[in-house]
Amino acid sequence: MNFSEETLMAYVDGELDGSTREQVERAAATDPEVARRVAAHHALNRKLRAGFDPVLEEPVPARLVSLARGAHGESKPGALLQFPVRSVPQRSWVQWSSLAASFALGALAWHFASRLNSVAPITTSRGEFVASGALEQALNGQLAADQAPAAVVQMGVSFRSRQGDYCRTFRLRDTAAASGLACRESSGWTVQVLVHDAPAAQGEYRQAASAMPATVLHAVEDSIAGEPLDSADEAAARARGWLPKR
Amino acid sequence: MPPISEALSAEIVELLPRLRRFARALAGNPSDADDLVQIAIERALAKSQQLREGAPLAGWMFGILRNAWIDEARARARRHRVFAPEELGEQVADPHSARVEILPVQQAMERLSDEHREVISLVLIEGLSYREAADIIGVAVGTVTSRLARGREALQTLLGEEQP
Repeated sequence: MNFSEETLMAYVDGELDGSTREQVERAAATDPEVARRVAAHHALNRKLRAGFDPVLEEPVPARLVSLARGAHGESKPGALLQFPVRSVPQRSWVQWSSLAASFALGALAWHFASRLNSVAPITTSRGEFVASGALEQALNGQLAADQAPAAVVQMGVSFRSRQGDYCRTFRLRDTAAASGLACRESSGWTVQVLVHDAPAAQGEYRQAASAMPATVLHAVEDSIAGEPLDSADEAAARARGWLPKR
Repeated sequence: MPPISEALSAEIVELLPRLRRFARALAGNPSDADDLVQIAIERALAKSQQLREGAPLAGWMFGILRNAWIDEARARARRHRVFAPEELGEQVADPHSARVEILPVQQAMERLSDEHREVISLVLIEGLSYREAADIIGVAVGTVTSRLARGREALQTLLGEEQP
């Protein structure tokens, strides 16, 4: 069967109805020429995504976030999962000055910490939430440039905070999916922000964005000193155990 | 400006990474792209009462950003007629973009016609359906299909690949 280029393109884009789609699939299974043309479309799509998807991982400039927030930059009681860094600018961003925010971090962190075994990714220590298990291992050893796509913990960006500590964003796919920010302090990696990942959007758009939640990006922007580490800096920081040169 | 609901603000913030990706695909240059996102947020907030209850925010915002890009492109064309090309060619060195590697596919996108670039950005990068893209651009679905086909062909030629 002879398919027009537009039909094969619509097939790759998921735009064909059931019967035409099946015709293309049958043809692609038996006719190498159809299979080759379909593969060429797929390859171009992949190349485009690879070219532009990294934008999703970049920190969003603070001016855009502030503009979109308009009058709503202040966190309000009840907005539990909003990390209140902007509402308490006079205090250190690592301090949990808002009871509501502590509760929000706590509720989710407790979800991870409450498992009665030694592999819980987060434990509590002197009122702080400290990374342990797989999360601690990843924070210590896993470089963003070199990680398996299926790893339970995915590392995002690493940077130096204004306090001079090393901090890293992560995504945790454990019994719940969550993203957060942890900083290496003398006692270990303390979890500063932890938010539930929004469930992947279904239906409306076929490709769900894989960006860090705005709350985490926001916390990064508020605490970062300079630029995120590049892969060489990251490897060097790992070699020093993520302890700053003082 | 009418009061903006907190929910809408939060939704726009969540959408920012995708708006930035879409703008990058349209504008190429990262700082031009973020300027477009800024204009789109301003316009969206100014006319947020036009957004129907329950209507998808993403499509609406993509449409606003796309129109802002068209306006910018027209303004740029006017400047082209007024200024000498050398003046336009001068760019302030951007330390951020200087470190970013430009991929062949990004260069190829910049060389596409505006018509092809917008449809490829909406469907192939943002994952919108042909119908959604048609509504945003204001053309028939058949036009989206034919522009996509020609745009893909042009991209493949620019990337030096064999045609399907």
